[in-house]
Amino acid sequence: MFEGLRAKLHKIQGGLSQSIESASDKEAAEKEAVPPSTVGEKEKNPTILGKVKVLLTDREFLINEKDIREPLFELEMILLENDVALPVTEEIISHIRKDLAGSRRKIGEPVDTIVATALRDALLDVLGEGFDLVSYIRSHDKPVKILFTGVNGTGKTTTVAKVGSYLKKNGCSVVIGAGDTFRAGALEQIDVHAQRLGIKIIQHQAGGDPSAVLYDAVQYAEAHHIDTVLADTAGRFHNRVNLMNQLDKIRRVMKPDLIVYVDEAVAGNDAVVRAHEFEKAVGADAVILTKADMDPRGGAAISIAHTIGKPMMFLGTGQGYDDLIPFSPEQVVGDLLSEEA
Amino acid sequence: MIDRLGTSLKDALKKLAGKTVVDRAAVEELVKDLQRALLQADVNVKLVMQLSQAIKTRSLEEEPPKGMSVREHVLRIVYQELVRLVGSSGEVRLEPQRILMAGLQGSGKTTTTAKLARYFQRKGLKTAVICADTFRPGAYDQLSTLCAKINISCYGDPKEKDARVIVRDGLKTLGNVEVVIIDTQGRHALEEDLIQEIIDLNLLTQATHRWLVIDAALGQQARDQARRFHDAINIDGVIITKMDGTAKGGGALSAVTETSSGIVFIGSGETIEDLERFEPDSFISRLLGMGDLKALVERAQETVTGGEIDVNAMMRGKFTLRDMYKQLEALNKMGPLKQIMSMIPMGNVELPGEVYEVTSAKMSRYRYIMDSMTGTELDDPSVLSSSRIQRIASGSGSSPEEVRELIKYYKNMKRALKGVRGAGGKFNMQRMMKRFGGM
Repeated sequence: MFEGLRAKLHKIQGGLSQSIESASDKEAAEKEAVPPSTVGEKEKNPTILGKVKVLLTDREFLINEKDIREPLFELEMILLENDVALPVTEEIISHIRKDLAGSRRKIGEPVDTIVATALRDALLDVLGEGFDLVSYIRSHDKPVKILFTGVNGTGKTTTVAKVGSYLKKNGCSVVIGAGDTFRAGALEQIDVHAQRLGIKIIQHQAGGDPSAVLYDAVQYAEAHHIDTVLADTAGRFHNRVNLMNQLDKIRRVMKPDLIVYVDEAVAGNDAVVRAHEFEKAVGADAVILTKADMDPRGGAAISIAHTIGKPMMFLGTGQGYDDLIPFSPEQVVGDLLSEEA
Repeated sequence: MIDRLGTSLKDALKKLAGKTVVDRAAVEELVKDLQRALLQADVNVKLVMQLSQAIKTRSLEEEPPKGMSVREHVLRIVYQELVRLVGSSGEVRLEPQRILMAGLQGSGKTTTTAKLARYFQRKGLKTAVICADTFRPGAYDQLSTLCAKINISCYGDPKEKDARVIVRDGLKTLGNVEVVIIDTQGRHALEEDLIQEIIDLNLLTQATHRWLVIDAALGQQARDQARRFHDAINIDGVIITKMDGTAKGGGALSAVTETSSGIVFIGSGETIEDLERFEPDSFISRLLGMGDLKALVERAQETVTGGEIDVNAMMRGKFTLRDMYKQLEALNKMGPLKQIMSMIPMGNVELPGEVYEVTSAKMSRYRYIMDSMTGTELDDPSVLSSSRIQRIASGSGSSPEEVRELIKYYKNMKRALKGVRGAGGKFNMQRMMKRFGGM
């Protein structure tokens, strides 16, 4: 994923550097052209005089907001095209603008570095921090109870299976609570996953109370000294009050240590709305983004991470059990801005 | 956030009011707001840019027809361009056919398959489904459980790993049915072997229709995905699912443009009946977060037979308890109050929150209370004295407090409707919509 965005960001980085470069060339040219009579007429920054002054005395060049307006607009469009939600895009842009405009550049200092730093800062700022699940489990009281939430069809059940497999590989014992008692076939689905992975699963019959199932799963884990309880739930829309209340009840009953919000990387602007609603209703400690393999751009990752303000835990990248990669913001941003695009 | 966009759009429209010539600045502002609304709704960036360019040029260059105000002129252009963007609804024929479902993982294909089967069943066609999802565990159980509920035969074999074999056997086994719907496994554009599988399935089934199921929340990615599916199996219809969330389905528009087809159905809930035919008008109003009076009036006509509810009398502000009684009855058939209210173009009239909070249980309580009122009281609620309230309470088995609550609710409604009338008078949305309807 992210290839598309990376290529685009590269172009923009070049564009920004270029316009700053050309602006500074213009400055240099103007420096000679400024007639002495204008001196003293203009005083407010960043007037030509101010810029020239800076240029002359400090051998620095002041980056003007006007110089970067064009490439910034282009960047805005690129971010939007890559599914970064509108408010988040605006934040990134204003972050970069604030960073760049009015900043001073030493003559000879490569423009690329300034631009890259500004972009990197802005992206890191919105992406937040990663989340290391295994060390979290090791450092907390057992069993660690993890509740998975999200809207319909984002891949919660598959993700529960993948996380189960990941934890097993990392030496943590796991039990799954089949909390999706609503959707037809959901119990069969998670049952098959659990069998394939050799993970114990606690389930009741279809239509049962999910809180009861998950409570039983926690009881089982306590009795058998199991490290982790993975609690699957039925998908629900954030605007269904009764379903959100049900989720709240689950939270009260099983007292999860971590609430993980699952959403898909291909979601558009609504990702932000629903992430926010879930966060408001039941809270969220971490985010898992699924179906990242469908989308070479990955803008939703940026939006959701930013909106919830919670760390991103994993990216789901395929249909196999191993298609789950721990998320590290430094690495993603590094990838995005790396030279070999 | 959504409401705010609708409002800012309306504000922009307001600025055009009373102008005799089209004002470039105002049009530009309007277009900018429109862009924001559409981008927020996940409409493809390039489509948005094309649309806004077209609106700008047409608004500034075309002469408003005689008798049409500047705002109406611009609105009409906006509306026409949006209709062009959204496209007409795809055709659904009630005749023997085979439908192949395609879509990304988790877009709701299986649920939609069952809903479609229900739709054709209700139209009197003998319908059956085939589960060709060989990958996801529980897929066959899901579909067969759903089908068992509505008595539709479902063919599948969870042990068979080749979807082609299942479909071939299924078509043979099902034999004499009129509509066959084939549910397939979720796949995306980058999975070459799965794309090949659906190409094979398409050849094998000789499908009449190949419908692409798109999640309303799908973002800019929709275009690329749709293009790949279209290249593979020539998609001729789009179904938008999960429209009961807050997503606006703008992504599906890119799919429509990319496949040059139309939207056939909209999935709007978790039960098997929650499938609607696509209506461009209501879709547009949702996209922009603006109300759509046309849909409301149409819906009212559908569910209420003539004369039962007099929208015009309500608009004139003549609103008695008797009207409210009819309205409550009608609302029961029309769906939740909030949904109805979102269809009324209120301008920036805010309904008090408590109006929404009346639950359906409460509504029926209200109706019992009103059943205990006399004709005079229903026509003129101002005669309700405390002794009358006492009588009504004991007559209906409720308490005086409840009767008073009802009166308060009535007053709130009346005030709100007055607001609508005010906004309607200035804005004249109804007239505008009528005009659009005639075009």
